Amino acid sequence: MRYYARKFGFYLVALWAALTLNFFIPRLMPGNPVDILMAKLAQRGGTVDPSARRAYELMLGTNSSESLFQQYISYLGNMFRGDLGISVSAFPAPVSEVIAGALPWTLMLVGIATFLSFAFGIILGTFVGWRRGTWLDSLVPATTVLSAVPYFWLALLLVAVLSSAWGWFPLQGGYDILLSPGWNGEFIGSAIYYGTLPALTIVISSVGGWLLGMRNMMVSATSEDYVLTAQAKGLRDSRIMIKYAARNAVLPSVAGFAISLGFVVSGAVITEQVFSYPGIGSKLLQAVQNNDYALMQGVFLVITVAVLGANLVVDLLYAVIDPRTRVSG
Amino acid sequence: MTNLSAVTVEPPRGRAGWRSMLPRWSPKLGVGLALVGLITFIGVIGPLLVGDPNTIRDISLTPPSGDFWLGTTWTGQDVVAQLAHATRGSLYIGLMVGVMATVLSALFGIVGAYIGGYVDEGFNLFSNVMLVIPGLPLVIVISAFVPADQRGMWTIAVVLAITGWAASARVLRAQTLSLRNRDYVAAARVSGEKPWRVITVEILPNLLPLLASQFVFSVIYAILSEAGLSFLGLGASNSSTLGTMLYYAQNSFALQREAWWWFVPPGLIIALFGCGLALVNFSIDEIINPKLRDIPRRRKAEVSKVAEPVSRTDDDVVLTVNNLSVVYQVETPVHAVKDVSITLRRGEILGLAGESGCGKTTLAYAINRLHRPPAEVTTGSVTFHDREGGDIDVLALTPGELRAFRWSKLSMVFQGAMNALNPVITVRAQLDDVLTTHRPEMTKAQRKAKCEEVLKLVGVDVRRLSSFPHELSGGMRQRVMIAMALLLDPQVMIMDEPTTALDVVVQRGILREILRLRDEIGFAVLFITHDLPLLLELADRIAVMKEGEVVEYATAQDMYEQPAHPYTRQLLDSFPSLTGERGAFVRSGEQMTPVDRSGEPTAFGGVR
Repeated sequence: MRYYARKFGFYLVALWAALTLNFFIPRLMPGNPVDILMAKLAQRGGTVDPSARRAYELMLGTNSSESLFQQYISYLGNMFRGDLGISVSAFPAPVSEVIAGALPWTLMLVGIATFLSFAFGIILGTFVGWRRGTWLDSLVPATTVLSAVPYFWLALLLVAVLSSAWGWFPLQGGYDILLSPGWNGEFIGSAIYYGTLPALTIVISSVGGWLLGMRNMMVSATSEDYVLTAQAKGLRDSRIMIKYAARNAVLPSVAGFAISLGFVVSGAVITEQVFSYPGIGSKLLQAVQNNDYALMQGVFLVITVAVLGANLVVDLLYAVIDPRTRVSG
Repeated sequence: MTNLSAVTVEPPRGRAGWRSMLPRWSPKLGVGLALVGLITFIGVIGPLLVGDPNTIRDISLTPPSGDFWLGTTWTGQDVVAQLAHATRGSLYIGLMVGVMATVLSALFGIVGAYIGGYVDEGFNLFSNVMLVIPGLPLVIVISAFVPADQRGMWTIAVVLAITGWAASARVLRAQTLSLRNRDYVAAARVSGEKPWRVITVEILPNLLPLLASQFVFSVIYAILSEAGLSFLGLGASNSSTLGTMLYYAQNSFALQREAWWWFVPPGLIIALFGCGLALVNFSIDEIINPKLRDIPRRRKAEVSKVAEPVSRTDDDVVLTVNNLSVVYQVETPVHAVKDVSITLRRGEILGLAGESGCGKTTLAYAINRLHRPPAEVTTGSVTFHDREGGDIDVLALTPGELRAFRWSKLSMVFQGAMNALNPVITVRAQLDDVLTTHRPEMTKAQRKAKCEEVLKLVGVDVRRLSSFPHELSGGMRQRVMIAMALLLDPQVMIMDEPTTALDVVVQRGILREILRLRDEIGFAVLFITHDLPLLLELADRIAVMKEGEVVEYATAQDMYEQPAHPYTRQLLDSFPSLTGERGAFVRSGEQMTPVDRSGEPTAFGGVR
């Protein structure tokens, strides 16, 4: 149980750190974002009511006489109530609403693509590592080429070839805009069709990393004593590969998920830009382009919380697949 | 690109020479260095050779030609000239971030781990928090707050370094922690060297390959991230990098206008440079973890029949090894086992003694064909004389037959106290899969009963079936190993140093158990150890190996009374008695009963 307590504690600290970063970044940077925001709001014909200004001030810093500490406490309070302010670029929608509309798209796309990439990478890596010394070894340098290619460049080339030239996939968007969003077969089919190419580009660019990591661990695991024992036991090769070598070799990949998830999310932001996908990454860029600091901060927080949550889930899963963590923490 | 090497890192050799710090030459390294060299050349020398990249001409988007090797841009600029300057810009960012991120990760990883205590805890927590906060969104947020006109190369580089050091710090910390406890570091500390000196002189040199690999990784990360940022319009203003070049190409719809010569080359340069660095990194990784080195391709025929099997001379013999030689087929082949002949009788304990590296383990593995390439059986035969009649030529078995033969006729006991049990599945699963493989006709209940039966035989509580190996003591793990070896009622059991890592009391209990089980069940044992006195007590006959050859082969009684070979005498002399004098074992062993069939050794290692 100590393991779980430690993990929960760690993610609480990480969450607090992210919130604090979010609080201090705008205050440390030059310029006065609150005034920019208020001016923008006025431009849009929004009534500048004091509570909106107050929310911005708490989030972005201000010249008011309130002490930094008081601002910080009020800011944390606002965050816990889910009050992220009003979006300027999507005026007059609150930031939380804008995010709620975009989040499911990203979660589905990135979630499915990441899972597929992880699964393919682990399976391929298992075979490549197990069949070491065969032609499969040549797959290893090939994956590095894929990992070294700038993601958006590859995606744009694929779009140019598969969508523009051959017309296999739609150019951009998350669904056929002629349909109205809803839980019906037609719309879901359209969403899947539009999501295939973005997901494919994410898988192609990230599968190499998983493959390489898994392959290297397989190489280490196959020289372990327990694999030798399994061979002496006369078990079938497939069983030794899966139950003995891969079962142990996969542990660092799962543990390393935290490191990779940051990369995946970063990739997703760019994916959504390439495909004009209606997810949270697009919202982040929309916010950046419109100086919509409130939305920007909100999106950053939500992304961070999602990544932390995913990591927590993975850590809990890790405790299930590695019995040793449960005792020693 | 993910970096999962945190756990794969092998402890490097102590104060290794500088030679072992250099990558071994390989085609991968050659290609990698060539790519990196070529692109560095383009970035460093290129800008001096080409014209002004910003010259605007009225020739828009002309395809590659003699004048413009890679055509022109939308505004008629020379793509080659732009490429040269952009490459320089990207390399510059890569280098800056590489240096800064490596310094940061060294600070938090190495210094923290060296100091230890709260500093280490704090630094580690900080690194881990930085690691799980997604980098690019953070970079975007920071960049967005910096007004565009103040967003120079340095700003971008600093932001990328701040968000990119944490993964390296974690890897470095793990390695420093393991180095910190090495003897030579401890020695330096005890002798009063200053902490900074210990770090720079004792620890840093051993971390160099790792630092180099992390540096290379940071450079790739920086160049890719900068390109991504620029693509989003958040790159360094008033400077040219491959990322900004792609940004302009994309915003002028280069691909839609089929101006591939403008869009493809910048990305290709990044890809080739990253690929080159990754290949160099492979070579560095191989220094850190030698297991990853390329091995020669496997030969097709795994075993070639090298000699006729020996037919049984009398029913009392269960295993005949005849003129067996095993060679490690490396550059200068090593004859690990030379022309060894031994026979094992039913119910007998045959001891195989010798110092480490004498070939005794290689021999034992070759009997069961567990040797791995580059080891290869070059001559001789291994014949198993089955109790049901029939002789099995072990070296000629097909893979399927070999699997069926293993464990059911001949099982092995490894050092269970070490890593011979799979750490992540239960004892029950590890016992059970032997039965599901070899006895598919058994029902679940029968298998459970059998597993419980063998555990009881070795004196382990049956509740331990649901335990994981790490929950058992060393002695208990060894008992579980023996129980596992008993599952299929084998005729021969090969025991490879089964008691070496155990303390004397536990060791004694296990040996007693082996003798008792042998008497009850009647399997034959090939017992491998470096401990000759122990064999004198335990074994019926003993073979002493030296440099791959059996130099003496006699009954335990004879070897005890009159060791013939000088090496045997040397081995016996080298074991001190607990009462002090070196070599006291042989001379003062008057009370010894070399083999005590009751299963209760009366003397242990010559000392009661």
